[in-house]
Amino acid sequence: MSNATHGLELIGLTKILGGRVIIDNLNLTVEKGEMVSLLGPSGCGKTTTLRMIAGFLIPEKGTVNVAGKDVTNLGPEKRPSAMVFQNYALWPHMTVFKNVAYPLKIRKMGKAEIEKRVHEVLEVVNLMHHKDSRPGQISGGEQQRVALARALVQEPDILLLDEPLSNLDAKLRVKVREDIRDLQRRLGITTVIVTHDQDEALSISDRIAVMNEGRIEQFSTPQDLYDQPATEYVANFIGSLNRIEGGYADGQVIPGNEVVGIRPEDVSFSKSQVAGSYPATVELVVPRGHFHEVYLKRADASLRAFVSIDVPKAGDIGFAKVSKALVYKDGKLVRTA
Amino acid sequence: MAKRENNLNLQTGSLVTRFFIGVFVAFMAVFILGPLIWLALQAFSTTWTFPNLKPDGWTLVWWKRVFETPSMVEAIRNSFITAPIVVLVSAVICLPAAYAAARYNYLGRRVFLIGMFAANSFPKLGLFASIATLFYTLNLMGTMVGVIIIQLLGTIIYMTWIPAAAFAAVPKNLEEAARDAGASKFRVFRGITLRLAAPGILVAMVMSFISAFDEAQGTYLVGSPEIFTMPTEMYSLVLTYPVQIAAVFSILLAVPSVILIGLARKHIIGGQLAEGFQIK
Amino acid sequence: MTTTNTVATKEGFAEVKAAKLSTLGFFMALPPVLVVILFVGLPIFVAFIFSIGYTGGPNRVISIIGQDIYKKDSWWGTADAYLAVVKDPRFLPDFALTMVVTFVSTLVVLTMAMGMGLYQRIKGGKVASVLSMLSLVPLFVPVVIAAYAIAQFYNGVGFMRTFMAQFGIEFPVITATRNAIIIGTIWTSLPFAILMITSGLQSVPNALIETAQDAGASFMRIVRTILIPLAFVPIVIAGTFTAIGIMGSFTVPLFLGPNQPTMLGVEISNFFTAYNRPQQSIVMAFIIFAAASGIAVLYIWANIRSAKQSGRI
Ligand SMILES: Nc1ncnc2c1ncn2[C@@H]1O[C@H](COP(=O)(O)OP(=O)(O)OP(=O)(O)O)[C@@H](O)[C@H]1O
Ligand SMILES: [Mg+2]
Repeated sequence: MSNATHGLELIGLTKILGGRVIIDNLNLTVEKGEMVSLLGPSGCGKTTTLRMIAGFLIPEKGTVNVAGKDVTNLGPEKRPSAMVFQNYALWPHMTVFKNVAYPLKIRKMGKAEIEKRVHEVLEVVNLMHHKDSRPGQISGGEQQRVALARALVQEPDILLLDEPLSNLDAKLRVKVREDIRDLQRRLGITTVIVTHDQDEALSISDRIAVMNEGRIEQFSTPQDLYDQPATEYVANFIGSLNRIEGGYADGQVIPGNEVVGIRPEDVSFSKSQVAGSYPATVELVVPRGHFHEVYLKRADASLRAFVSIDVPKAGDIGFAKVSKALVYKDGKLVRTA
Repeated sequence: MAKRENNLNLQTGSLVTRFFIGVFVAFMAVFILGPLIWLALQAFSTTWTFPNLKPDGWTLVWWKRVFETPSMVEAIRNSFITAPIVVLVSAVICLPAAYAAARYNYLGRRVFLIGMFAANSFPKLGLFASIATLFYTLNLMGTMVGVIIIQLLGTIIYMTWIPAAAFAAVPKNLEEAARDAGASKFRVFRGITLRLAAPGILVAMVMSFISAFDEAQGTYLVGSPEIFTMPTEMYSLVLTYPVQIAAVFSILLAVPSVILIGLARKHIIGGQLAEGFQIK
Repeated sequence: MTTTNTVATKEGFAEVKAAKLSTLGFFMALPPVLVVILFVGLPIFVAFIFSIGYTGGPNRVISIIGQDIYKKDSWWGTADAYLAVVKDPRFLPDFALTMVVTFVSTLVVLTMAMGMGLYQRIKGGKVASVLSMLSLVPLFVPVVIAAYAIAQFYNGVGFMRTFMAQFGIEFPVITATRNAIIIGTIWTSLPFAILMITSGLQSVPNALIETAQDAGASFMRIVRTILIPLAFVPIVIAGTFTAIGIMGSFTVPLFLGPNQPTMLGVEISNFFTAYNRPQQSIVMAFIIFAAASGIAVLYIWANIRSAKQSGRI
């Protein structure tokens, strides 16, 4: 029997589709009330994993526990999960109200009760004024919120979101993701969200599972993923990285058979020499909005640095210092320095 | 585009449902293919004594009889003259209209489309009787032209609606891109529009050919007793000849359909046909 | 591919409807319309005035050849031909038979088509495609052959009786009964209904079904509240075309039905040629037409309803 305090437990999940192993012995534990992102490149199996949690796919091997209950062999209609699809999947022939009321009607709830609950949840997502509109008449962002309301009204044990923001424009995306996070915190609902946008994952998740080819490379907090990426793959995927083959000692890249990863944020440039800094030339400066990307040439390596104050000019000569480096051997983190 | 490999996970796999599905498939096979196979067997049998499961003997003599009977050969010839003419005439008349329906807006566009449908809901035989009334006056009864007109009517709905949907499905920006690249209007039409709409047009032509080739009621009313095609010959055949002759004739009559369907099967099942029948 | 096609088509047509009127388009669209006006509209009009007693002009020849012709006796014409048809002892049984066959066959065809369409939509796979190939066969078999083959299959020395006799069972002779007509019309109408309904169901996206499932809906409930409403127009089109086709059918009842009563399609032909009473034959055609028009209204209503729903109106 699994521990009832877990919101979700995936144990040894394996899925084969079209003769290929798509998900390979995947383990994941999500605590109650936690918001977890599945992050990874296209085709790595995020949707497949989510669909196994929801019950649209049955794993070849492994167990799915939701809120302490084994649901592996239940169809989606019997699982205590609610999913929001990427393109919202609102029923075009029903009004907003009817879309949201549908799950309640199935639960054979009384008319008055349904109306009360639907109104409540429509208030939450701020859509009362559209309750009699049809999906075709409202904007993408509003449709997204209807889909969310339809999931929330079911009071699921776990909320599943498959790239819920990818159809929204950049500005709306930031706003809606904050709304979702806010709502999730308030309701304390266990949530798994699929995304391939690292910004999105970093800003709203309690923990992130970075996926690669059907496996989880690392499952940790955003800060941890950033500071201690367990594999070279994760380090590359989260944030930017100067990747140099060799070894690392005394703030310098030395010959060796490891891989040194240096975050551009951890490279600083100054006109005067400080402890641990080495001579460097500025080759190119690219403005990137609120910071500048500075290409530096040092005797040991070429480095990119993110600089926001005292931005140098191309051709400047000075000193560059690396304050932190990640050292990988065979793709695995061996030490930080 | 990702095809629908993601089958829905609806719980329908129990043994009982599988059993019923099996029974249903078997039933459909007997219901649909049974009569055709049974008839086809007759074409090769000498006689057949009830209640034997097999005929008394096998023979090809009936085939020889058919090809030696002048009226039947004449009917076969007539069928292969009228049907292709009908398809050609229908294409010439209808394809421009189909293109117009897909690409232009014009006065009465919707009325035209719905009118076509309304015409279809008048009972065929009533229409043929009405046309016969008119044909008496126009002296078209018992003539080839009369028969061709009758058969043409049944093809119009296929030849306008299906290609119209096919033309409309050709993305406008493809045409525009080609124009942009310097192709002339006609070239774009021939090279892009026509090519992309070709499956729809093919299905329309196949359906029209079959419709014309199989048309029996109107052809009989207008054509007989001067002109018999294969289907109308069947009407008299079944009354005056043994079943084996009718069976041979049936096989001959089904041959063009089977060949043409083989050609266009993919597109017909692919939705070109169904797409054409929704008023837009 | 079907879905992309649908989308492209709908957009294509929508764009066209917003465009300004084109003269070229009008003239390109004209030829088939002229053919239909000349050889469908005009004959029907001429036939109609013939049916209410206008026996001159284009109706002169037929009025001379035909028997029992009623001539107009008031300013608008006469209803005598209609009365004569309705009073004819053959008419009521014929009419009832026509309606019963139409109703029963349409119902069965729609049920079978829905069943197969749903099976294909939900399960897919080999069995489904075999089933759909099988059910399309009748589309390519001339009605004459079909009717004749079915008659041979169910008659006194047909397969059903032969087969059952092997087990000592006396299978009834179905040929020349109402049931044989129903079997025949189902056989011939099945493919079109299946094509329409299957393609309608296929165009409902998976996600719309899955969300309903996720919300806890059972299979039957998904069919009732999601699939049928979303495939409503194709279903209605299938129903109306099937019903209208059956109502006016001729060959199937001719080969498979009883002599008396028979379907009105056959009776139209009998009256026109055998009994040489063309006016009454035409009257019957208009009676079927009136019934068919009632059904056609359904079709147009469904189209409008769907336009309203998707917010196009
Ligand atoms: N039914 C199927 N049959 C065969 N292969 C499949 C099937 N469904 C998915 N796949 C394959 O499984 C892999 C993972 O697919 P999945 O949809 O889970 O990726 P994803 O991480 O969600 O990607 P994206 O970010 O593009 O949505 C892909 O390579 C895909 O081609
Ligand atoms: Mg995905």
